[in-house]
Amino acid sequence: MQGSILEVRRLTKRFGGLTAVAGLDFNLRDGEILGLIGPNGAGKTTTFNIIAGTYAADEGEIRFAGDSILGLPPHQIARRGLMRTFQHNRPFSGMPVLENVMVGAHTQFRRNPFSRKASGEEQKQRRRAEELIEFVGLAGLRDADVGTLSFGQGRLLEIARALAGEPRAILFDEPAAGLTAAELDRLAGIIRGIAERGIAVLLIEHDMRFLLPLAERVVVLNFGARIAQGTPQEVRADRAVMDAYLGDAAAL
Amino acid sequence: MIRVAAWVGGFVALAALPFFLGSYHNDVYRKLLLWITLALGYNFLFGICGQVAFSHFAFYGVGAYSVVILTFQAGLPLPVAILLGVVICVALALAVAIPSTRLEGFYLALVTLALAQLFIVVLNEGGNVTGGAGGIANYRLPLIFGWRLAGPPYTLVVVALLGATLAILWRLDHSWFGRACRAVRDNPEAAAAMGVDVVRTKVIVFTLTSTLAGIAGMVYAFVDNTVNPPIFGIDNAFLILFMVIVGGAGRHAGAAIGAILLFLLPFWLAPVVGHHHQLVFGVLMLAVILVQPKGLIGIWDRCRDRFSK
Repeated sequence: MQGSILEVRRLTKRFGGLTAVAGLDFNLRDGEILGLIGPNGAGKTTTFNIIAGTYAADEGEIRFAGDSILGLPPHQIARRGLMRTFQHNRPFSGMPVLENVMVGAHTQFRRNPFSRKASGEEQKQRRRAEELIEFVGLAGLRDADVGTLSFGQGRLLEIARALAGEPRAILFDEPAAGLTAAELDRLAGIIRGIAERGIAVLLIEHDMRFLLPLAERVVVLNFGARIAQGTPQEVRADRAVMDAYLGDAAAL
Repeated sequence: MIRVAAWVGGFVALAALPFFLGSYHNDVYRKLLLWITLALGYNFLFGICGQVAFSHFAFYGVGAYSVVILTFQAGLPLPVAILLGVVICVALALAVAIPSTRLEGFYLALVTLALAQLFIVVLNEGGNVTGGAGGIANYRLPLIFGWRLAGPPYTLVVVALLGATLAILWRLDHSWFGRACRAVRDNPEAAAAMGVDVVRTKVIVFTLTSTLAGIAGMVYAFVDNTVNPPIFGIDNAFLILFMVIVGGAGRHAGAAIGAILLFLLPFWLAPVVGHHHQLVFGVLMLAVILVQPKGLIGIWDRCRDRFSK
């Protein structure tokens, strides 16, 4: 059995009387692409926000690379090598593309800004950021104002920025939302490329046609609990998934 | 190399200039340099890190009063007084920043506005320590190695202050720290997701820029050799804000241009409108915000782009 980079155990979150996440268990293995799916209101985004440190949980445990990260603020979770993208792009609007990606590399800087070696470090991260911009397919837009990017390009910038932090795992919050068919193909290629680099990918996704060919394993959520998990084929054939999530099986 | 030579040449020119000025113009020149120094620091806080505070000029006053009180009322040697003055500025800035930056929105603006007002009250009610409404006057910079630093040579101290302030802020701005500050300004939630400690960044920037203002105040204390409450009035806090916005928030050159323009404008306007230059400032502010939110430096950029094409 492969090691798990991220382990979620008995995770529970209540909003007043509503239990958004109810005793959820799952693992993200090293270097895999794991899909987390479920109908609207299944608790996907809540789970995402708890892992990323935006929400506190009521019960349960989250371990990243063996250490508990539950209750840590977002910046400390990022420092441990768990980076995220935002569903609604959140660029740093006052900076060009390259500088945005360099902010993503924030955790990689070790030198005091006044030290003699600071500029060498800056050059190194700049080259790295340029490579990542090329990797996501934004070459040529390096110096562009982020305000001039299309929505799809903004999504790619989110990815390059998260990769600049040298993550061991990356969380995608509905990356397919709002993209055109051509952009989806490109995004799928990029996500596969990320996994090939040995970075574990957790995809929270709505779009089944995008997710099923891409994910190696899928965890299905409904009413905050896991109702199925397995390969995309297994999940697609699962009775409980058909009933609870898909409603009419014709959607597949 | 050419860039470095240009900067060195520029500062040599700034340092040489006072020796060619009469005593009145030397006085105007020093104050101009002090305003540029203040505007550069405030630009880092407001323009680069996105924090609205009204205490910048109050810290200038804290620095000035600290060094004067510690040297002439408490009789401490000047270097000790300067060091203690820095400690006072750092402690006061931390005391303001730590509680208020943890709150969202306008709390830092409100708390610092209150601090600036309170500072004037303390100065007026400070009795013998602060000299009350009349302040403290008739002191002289102590001899330094038997040498009395005054007139144009003292202006060199002001030039050095400006140079050191710019060097520190420039270095920080062109590093991961400056990028983190801009990220905090543009989108704090995304900045945190990139590993930036938002609260810590805000506290460091507020403390650093406030202390730089305090050090500028220490230098100012021996420009006029008098400190009194009206010098450090709250209107100056707004003037610094105007300078940064009119010149171009977030840009060192913008802050410097704004400071030069708004400091010199009253001299030119006085023969025309008398003391109503505030009115002209107000109109200028509105015009900039409406026409070119990036300030005068934004207009300059646009002209340069047009000519280079």
